[in-house]
Amino acid sequence: MTITDETVDYAAALAKLSLTEEEREKAKEDLSRILGYIDTMNELETDGVLPMSHVLSLSNVFREDVVTNGEEREDLLANAPARKEGTFLVPKTVE
Amino acid sequence: MDITKLTALELGRKIREGKVGVREAVSAQLAAIEARDKDYNCYITLNREEALRRADAVQEGMDAGRYASPLAGVPVAIKDNICTKGIRTTCASKILGDFTPPYDAAVIERLTAAGMVVLGKVNMDEFAMGSTTETSHFGATKNPWDISRVPGGSSGGAAAAVAAEEAPLALGSDTGGSIRQPSAFCGVTGIKPTYGTVSRYGLIAYASSLDQIGPIGRDVSDCAAMLSLISGSDKRDATSVPQESFDFMDALKDDVKGLRIGIPKGYFSEGLDAQVGDTVLAAAKELEKKGALLSEFDLEAVDYAIPAYYVIASAEASSNLSRYDGVKYGFRAADYGDLQEMYKRTRTQGFGDEVKRRMMIGAFVLSSGYYDAYYNKALKVRAIIKQSFDRAFEKYDVILGPTAPSTALKLGESLSDPLKMYLGDIYTVAVNLAGLPAISLPCGRDKQGLPVGLQLIGRPFGEKDILRAAYSFERTRAYISPVQE
Amino acid sequence: MKNYEMVIGLEVHVELATKTKIFCGCTTQFGGLPNTHCCPVCMGMPGTLPVLNKKVVEFAVAAGLATGCEITRHCKFDRKNYFYPDLPKAYQISQLYLPICQNGGIEIETELGKKRIGIHEIHMEEDAGKLVHDPWEDCTLVDYNRCGVPLIEIVSEPDMRSAQEVIAYLEKLKLILKYLGVSDCKMQEGSLRADINLSVREVGAAEFGTRTEMKNMNSFKAIARAIDGERKRQIEVLTYGGKVIQETRRWDENKDTSFAMRSKEDAQDYRYFPEPDLVPLDLSEEWLAQIKQGEPELRDAKMKRYREEFGIPEYDAAIITGAKRMADIFEETVVICGRPKEVSNWLMVEAMRLLKEAEMDAEELTLAPQKLASLVALLEEGRINRTVAKEVFEQIFKENVDPKEYVKEKGLAMLQDDALLRETIALVLAQNEQSVADFFGGKDRAFGFLVGQTMKQLKGKADPGMVNSLLREALALRK
Repeated sequence: MTITDETVDYAAALAKLSLTEEEREKAKEDLSRILGYIDTMNELETDGVLPMSHVLSLSNVFREDVVTNGEEREDLLANAPARKEGTFLVPKTVE
Repeated sequence: MDITKLTALELGRKIREGKVGVREAVSAQLAAIEARDKDYNCYITLNREEALRRADAVQEGMDAGRYASPLAGVPVAIKDNICTKGIRTTCASKILGDFTPPYDAAVIERLTAAGMVVLGKVNMDEFAMGSTTETSHFGATKNPWDISRVPGGSSGGAAAAVAAEEAPLALGSDTGGSIRQPSAFCGVTGIKPTYGTVSRYGLIAYASSLDQIGPIGRDVSDCAAMLSLISGSDKRDATSVPQESFDFMDALKDDVKGLRIGIPKGYFSEGLDAQVGDTVLAAAKELEKKGALLSEFDLEAVDYAIPAYYVIASAEASSNLSRYDGVKYGFRAADYGDLQEMYKRTRTQGFGDEVKRRMMIGAFVLSSGYYDAYYNKALKVRAIIKQSFDRAFEKYDVILGPTAPSTALKLGESLSDPLKMYLGDIYTVAVNLAGLPAISLPCGRDKQGLPVGLQLIGRPFGEKDILRAAYSFERTRAYISPVQE
Repeated sequence: MKNYEMVIGLEVHVELATKTKIFCGCTTQFGGLPNTHCCPVCMGMPGTLPVLNKKVVEFAVAAGLATGCEITRHCKFDRKNYFYPDLPKAYQISQLYLPICQNGGIEIETELGKKRIGIHEIHMEEDAGKLVHDPWEDCTLVDYNRCGVPLIEIVSEPDMRSAQEVIAYLEKLKLILKYLGVSDCKMQEGSLRADINLSVREVGAAEFGTRTEMKNMNSFKAIARAIDGERKRQIEVLTYGGKVIQETRRWDENKDTSFAMRSKEDAQDYRYFPEPDLVPLDLSEEWLAQIKQGEPELRDAKMKRYREEFGIPEYDAAIITGAKRMADIFEETVVICGRPKEVSNWLMVEAMRLLKEAEMDAEELTLAPQKLASLVALLEEGRINRTVAKEVFEQIFKENVDPKEYVKEKGLAMLQDDALLRETIALVLAQNEQSVADFFGGKDRAFGFLVGQTMKQLKGKADPGMVNSLLREALALRK
């Protein structure tokens, strides 16, 4: 797998990171090597194998529809970087 | 009597017998931390005042006969990715540098209910990504055996604290070896339980389908006691498995007669330090002398565990760590114009290089056009690895091998080459992919005097098998401490 | 001028009527001070984990069964990843690979007749929070009260060709969901929202045109206008040789026009993958049967029962059951006072007339069954006559008055006094000798006139039947 500048930029954009020119070069090199190594997976024949997203053979775990939580706004807002009148404050959203 | 040299169960017994007070135990431990931690940097946050207050409350409770646990009154160190109500929980990251959870993790509730006392929060690789504890925003932890070396990671602070007698017992977490490998590097014992044994509620996620919390202690018995305490299903974690019994103490028998131990041939080939290999095989012979049945076998597909692991773990991490966006908690960059800029600056300034690297790998392997070739492929490889272990456990009760390919590395040695660091996880990640239990315990030292770890892997919920084997092996040698008086 | 037709598919988001959120024990109650219906789980705090509300699955299955869907026996949740301040985890737990219901459809009826609209899938997911613009600081305030409220998203096939079909589809869907009790479907509170995927193509063309998506429409009126507006816009673009761009547009109700939402800074790549924190669902035959059995009586069954049990004509039953609210009022009233036909008449004639006057939907009817029952009783006991009853009904409808008190207060009760009636009749006869003569001369209309005069004297408060018989009696004596 050769990683292009575009691929690095795309992955960084998806992860909401910005890279300096230097970091991008380093990332390109690292990702190329790591993904190159990851590509060794392709040596293993996996036709007909079901992808295993859960290692447990567990299903149907539920909670009942009963209100268990009360108001705890102050605790929830205590770590907020910016807040106003019981809400979280962020830069203006588009629309 | 030096309180800090006692095992957790020994200390618990003395406290119960009234020979040591809870405050005395906690104070002794705090004093040891103050004396040594400037050298080792195990702790990110020390819970000094609260720990002492709590010690008095527990003492009162013990005097009134309220605590039945053998670990009541025993102080404990907690890896800093496990939420503690009112105690800063940072994941060793700038982005959570000032985060104080308004809730306790399920494991904290359990050990609090048992009368244990939280000493503080211990160092780790940022968001548990790494195997050296060098990626911490709060500086690297040093190996108590040689401070020019890493303690391993990601639970390096926990393993080093236990080895350095800055805590009798600690809780770590293991996603790809993060309990076992630092335990091996620091000469202590650590268990990664079967996936689903310990509630993950309150464990700050790295890779949700792989993460498990487990104990790190100075011997097998302490780990078994701690594991008994924290195991059991939890309504708040849908992936925690209901089991009949999570009492592991009755597995502590010096008896491996007839225990079938499989040794994967591939584990003792290229890439393994010869001294480590010899030490581990010598340990296997000790078990054979006690009546265990050894045989070599091929553990198929295990060579592909590292690539599959890094795809799956990075993918889940990229999603799990997206919530650190500067909106609700944690760090927010100081200067930004619009929302997008706030996101990017916050995350770019808030995360370290290794975390960024994995988030980018994770975003890439899930991205449109690459999902099948990388993520889905890795899930298939995972299935094959699981089947390979399933077949092995039809023949063997325990799989034995090294925990890590070498003893503790020099500080800085693997930081510059991420791929080389990933390859160091060769013996540990397959266990997480298959959701199996595994223990690492010291089995000797190399010529430089650095501890070597022995890894015993069990079938799902086969903790008792590996505990019995580990306990039996442990009888053959004395614990060696790096702390010299 | 070419002839174009529209191709429309809908994504309808419905908030489920559970007591608690989909993955935590927080209330789903509408409103409340910002961030007071929240906990660490729905706010995506570090280390927290989701646990699925069983009722959500049951509601989703019920919706699927009622819309002819196949239920996916082994289904899973997936994460949809994107950054936005209303999404605290930066991923939405949803279903992509194995949605709970697939391949269904419902029948709609428009002026052009009956038609089946296919349902591609129904999946479960969590709602996002609310963003409010703060003009003082020119920034956005985030409230997570709605975050984690369970949703089902019902994705139709692109089977609709007109705004009428879209409205008919939505109305049918709404009715089904309300009858099932899985949602209150209040568009004004956002518990039913539709995204419209619309394209135009030349009539007869085999391929679909490029579609646009209009998001979060929350009234039928807005939907109809938005469809019309977007159709015109796309045709205009094509007529002048342009190309329709695949994009998300926002309908501005005030300006009566749609505009492209500024495209997000990066591409929409949601990187869906299986949610590792939730285990898969296995829906057994038994469970499905249980859900089916636990279903409330649906519309068709109600109509049949109304006919068989109450003797209500089909047409009437269709009107009464046309809104779940009205059917509920009907049944509750009948339980109190019996007389199903009488109750049905009040609802389908008077209530419908008043709703129309007030431009209200039958689902908004707030008639207390107790009061309607009381009105029916007053009428049956002969305490008021039908004309008065209509007035009283209107007052119940509009002012929620108590019928007994209202009748008493306004002095609307009928005269029960024979003597006064006879006296009045004698007076009327004396004052209208000509009419009396006409009556005896064989003119029937004269009798009607005399009845009318008597009622007028009594200000309408007499029982017309009684006036009739006493008048005949008095005339017979004169003969």
